[in-house]
Amino acid sequence: MARDVTEAVKPPRAVFVPFRMGHHFGTPFHVELQRRIIMAAFGLIDDAIESPTIMNLDVTWARARREGKEIEAAAAETDS
Amino acid sequence: MASSETGGAQLRPGLWETVNERYPGSMITKSEIVPLARLDKPLSEARVAFVSSSGVQPKGTLPFDVTHPVGDYTFRRVPSGSSPDDLEIHQLKYPTDGALRDLNVIFPITRLQELVAEGTLGGLTDNFYTFIGYNMDPGLFESTVAEDIAAAVEEEAADIVLAAPA
Repeated sequence: MARDVTEAVKPPRAVFVPFRMGHHFGTPFHVELQRRIIMAAFGLIDDAIESPTIMNLDVTWARARREGKEIEAAAAETDS
Repeated sequence: MASSETGGAQLRPGLWETVNERYPGSMITKSEIVPLARLDKPLSEARVAFVSSSGVQPKGTLPFDVTHPVGDYTFRRVPSGSSPDDLEIHQLKYPTDGALRDLNVIFPITRLQELVAEGTLGGLTDNFYTFIGYNMDPGLFESTVAEDIAAAVEEEAADIVLAAPA
């Protein structure tokens, strides 16, 4: 959420997501995105070659929100 | 510092400066580099702890003091086998609209349990650890919450700590 804060703290490895506060793992019920963020972080265990490493996840908040809404709409359709 | 360039930009640029101007001395900056620690086993055998500043806590436990002007320097243990229905958030400092519908957007406990069940992760520590991010005394935070959680995670024999802000 706050790349500049992450850069100041200098964690050994970090995944940056350009998301709203309170939504660091994505949008509600967007299981695939939540998993992707977690696995991107675990991927840095081997992929990071120097400390600190900050990886930008290739996703925007607009896309995450749009996909989240589509997922919820599809779920609502299934339930009705 | 290694950095990849793809992906979206920070939604609120200059956040570190803004907060540090408003609350002088509250923002941490470090000059020391923590060396990378390597995992000596596959992820499928690794024991994972999750540490979060979301303030998620088990229902019935003492709520974090989210109105104290200097912050709350305590932490909570969240059993890693908990369901989101067993947990609650008392928070004023970040929007909880998403988390109140799906806790995993800020505290991905279900996702981590699934990753263990499918064999991607070896296991989870008995507890996850949470605190609140509003702490105005970084030195006090480091000597209390940070050191206490670090000791607890080590005692639980975590191979990996996934840490996330809120």
